Amino acid sequence: MKQTVLTVENVIKRFPGTVALKGVSFELHAQEILALAGENGAGKSTLMKILSGIYPHREYEGKITLNGKECQFTGTAMAENAGIAMIYQELNMELDLSVAENIVLGKYPRTKWGSIDWKQVREEAEKTLGQVGLHLDTGTIVRNLNPSMQQLVSIARALYRKPRVLILDEPTSVLTEREAQKLMEIIRKLKNDGISCIYISHKLDEIFELCDRVVVFRDGEKISEHQKALGYDSSRLIEDMIGRRLVAMYPKRAAQIGEEILRVEHFQAPHPFAYGKNIIEDVSFSLKRGEILGLAGLVGAGRSELVSAIFGAIPKTHGSVYLEGQEIQIREPYEAIRYGFGFLSEDRKKNGYVWCMNIRENMTLVTLRSMVKRLFVNAREEEAQAEEYFQRLKVKAPGLETMITSLSGGNQQKVILAKWLMGNIRILMLDEPTRGIDVGTKSEIYKLMQELTENGISIIMISSEMSELLTMCDRIIVLGKGIVQREFARGEADEVRLLQASSCT
Amino acid sequence: MKVKNTGIHPLKDRQKRVVTGRPHGHKFTNWFLCKPESGIILILILFVLFATIVNPSFLSYRNVINISRASGFTLIGVVGMAMILIIGGLDLSIGSVYALAALICGMGMTAWGLPIPVAILLGLFTGLVCGAINGLLVVYTDIPAMIATLGMQYIARGLVSVLTKGVPIYPLPDAFVQIESTRLAGSIPIVVPFSIILAIMAHLILSKTVFGRSVYAIGGNQEAARISGINLRKTKMTIYILMGGLASLAGILMASRLGSAEPSTGAGLEMKVICAAVIGGISVSGGMGTMFGAMLGAFFMEALTNSLTVMKISVYWQNVVFGIVLLLSVLLDQYKRAMLRRNSIKTS
Repeated sequence: MKQTVLTVENVIKRFPGTVALKGVSFELHAQEILALAGENGAGKSTLMKILSGIYPHREYEGKITLNGKECQFTGTAMAENAGIAMIYQELNMELDLSVAENIVLGKYPRTKWGSIDWKQVREEAEKTLGQVGLHLDTGTIVRNLNPSMQQLVSIARALYRKPRVLILDEPTSVLTEREAQKLMEIIRKLKNDGISCIYISHKLDEIFELCDRVVVFRDGEKISEHQKALGYDSSRLIEDMIGRRLVAMYPKRAAQIGEEILRVEHFQAPHPFAYGKNIIEDVSFSLKRGEILGLAGLVGAGRSELVSAIFGAIPKTHGSVYLEGQEIQIREPYEAIRYGFGFLSEDRKKNGYVWCMNIRENMTLVTLRSMVKRLFVNAREEEAQAEEYFQRLKVKAPGLETMITSLSGGNQQKVILAKWLMGNIRILMLDEPTRGIDVGTKSEIYKLMQELTENGISIIMISSEMSELLTMCDRIIVLGKGIVQREFARGEADEVRLLQASSCT
Repeated sequence: MKVKNTGIHPLKDRQKRVVTGRPHGHKFTNWFLCKPESGIILILILFVLFATIVNPSFLSYRNVINISRASGFTLIGVVGMAMILIIGGLDLSIGSVYALAALICGMGMTAWGLPIPVAILLGLFTGLVCGAINGLLVVYTDIPAMIATLGMQYIARGLVSVLTKGVPIYPLPDAFVQIESTRLAGSIPIVVPFSIILAIMAHLILSKTVFGRSVYAIGGNQEAARISGINLRKTKMTIYILMGGLASLAGILMASRLGSAEPSTGAGLEMKVICAAVIGGISVSGGMGTMFGAMLGAFFMEALTNSLTVMKISVYWQNVVFGIVLLLSVLLDQYKRAMLRRNSIKTS
């Protein structure tokens, strides 16, 4: 039948404590676009790192064959020379070099004197750019290009190395719909030119449109294979991706949901990497007293940016926020706090805690102002308040004066939560509150959320863990492509529907 | 530890836990090293012993008074610089601002015929304005503090040259010169208690007020501080303005001591003051250090200068010694940070 270009046989990759790939085998045919699908942590990127030489030979078990020859890569350069080129999710280019230089970087054409042949550099660059349908001055500095052009340049860079196999990892995450369409066309053209592609994406609609075959991964194993010729079944595929999971640590969700407290209208927030673009295009939603509202969506859907912009942590582009029917202006977090907002950010280390402070100081960061007695902070009161929350949240540490860096992730998270709970918050926004936290602490955080809503506090929760969203939230909004894709009431959604809505199918 | 919910009074329980949280006697060395002032105390004790053995007159009353007087001037700058470093900033302009403020004050009294208090206020105002400009540049533009304040350093020093054309303003009125030569209890120069009072006030602000806590929080993690509702702009502006005010205060006092406003005065002051603060345990990367340590740092710098002179070591060698001491204290700071990061320090 079809000629096989790349064969992966029984590849096992172990990390200390876990096995990331548990004996994976698949093959890639000539002139084929193969999709790898699976949730985060399924082992897709580990496999790609093996193929592109980042994890060198002998750090894994198994056999990789390219064009009938066994590959034993010791580095990325060797993989590139053998004919495997990879385009990474994050654009990694030399921003201050020209387009031409980025394309030929590390593989400069030389003159007979051994110096760089600049004329040929330009010609080669123009030729490869032509292959991706991009016509621009090759002397342009890459920093001045928009992200989609940068993406195309990085593909040109890969093509310059004349690969047999091109691996694309989430190539459309920074692109708009139209740009993504254009990119897919280019990939199809490359396929006709004889290049095989491995395409990694969370976006199922793209996969269905573009790819000839889909291999599904879960927990380091290949679960199933789906052929385009036989027709794709999106719910089967998603089931294969998520599997069946047990749920037994959630509290019974029962809160009195009151009248509307917060309304967000036509919100727009800027893209964190792509200058001048919006990651949130037009989002409106409302939140009721005592309600837990879930924000679902893929990585890069702009969930964090939406709540950060509401809180004033990043500037919004456009949009209005109404608190109990009154329009409010929030430009900086301290203004949001005055209105009763709390915000548990996604990255504890980056903007959650102050690493050189102890538990007590981190806990009282928000509310210290209220503990002032005649100019000075009342140390007694500060300690008493910190102690109260230390007990209530069951922080496991020797004492209040313990440095926050010596705590486990879960306990750090509790301290940061305490910081917000001490104040008079009405709306608490939680961005991935249980990421990287052990099961026991997770369960405690869920119980706490339940308690808070019983006291009339409203919660917006971002989570990538679907079981968490489905069991804790009264309502779930799915974000995708900058807008609200769907809204589910409690009980309406299941994992399949949620993932379908997230991947915009 | 297991937390029981058995009706134990939280405060009683706390006392128990705080005790268990602190390291015990055998960990004294560890505990001491973790104190921000540990480095400077150690260095200071060793140094005083050494200097006294080499030259017993080092610890004579007269010499100690001399050192204290010089330290007083440095300390005024160190008070501001310590706060700037803790908030994660830097001010390289203080030496020039010091000179400019002294000059404006001097010219006010002589050329413009202003009453002494008005001239002093005018000098202070000059410093506050310079500090405010530094603050505006740092807070509202993306210019790094080092560059913004370097610009101010040149501008202020340039203005001094423009105004004086290199000639000192001399003589200054007697009543003005009297200010610095006031002696308390017969022999203590006024600048000593004055600077110590400033340091104590700064210490109280840093350790006991919301503002002080904000300064540490911003220096430790600016984004976390902002998310926690701390007004970055206001806090930073205040600190830079304060620094400008303190630099001008020191400059005016020095003019009173010298009896003239010298165009070259204060050159290199910023480096000396940063050096003193860092030796005193203020972290150059922000977030850590105490005013007490910085004060000892200021005293150490002047004691070192004095002893090198007393020991008849060439002035040329003094800078070499300063450099070595500075590097050693920064190394200690790095070590402490690494320990914190490695989670081995459990008490603050």
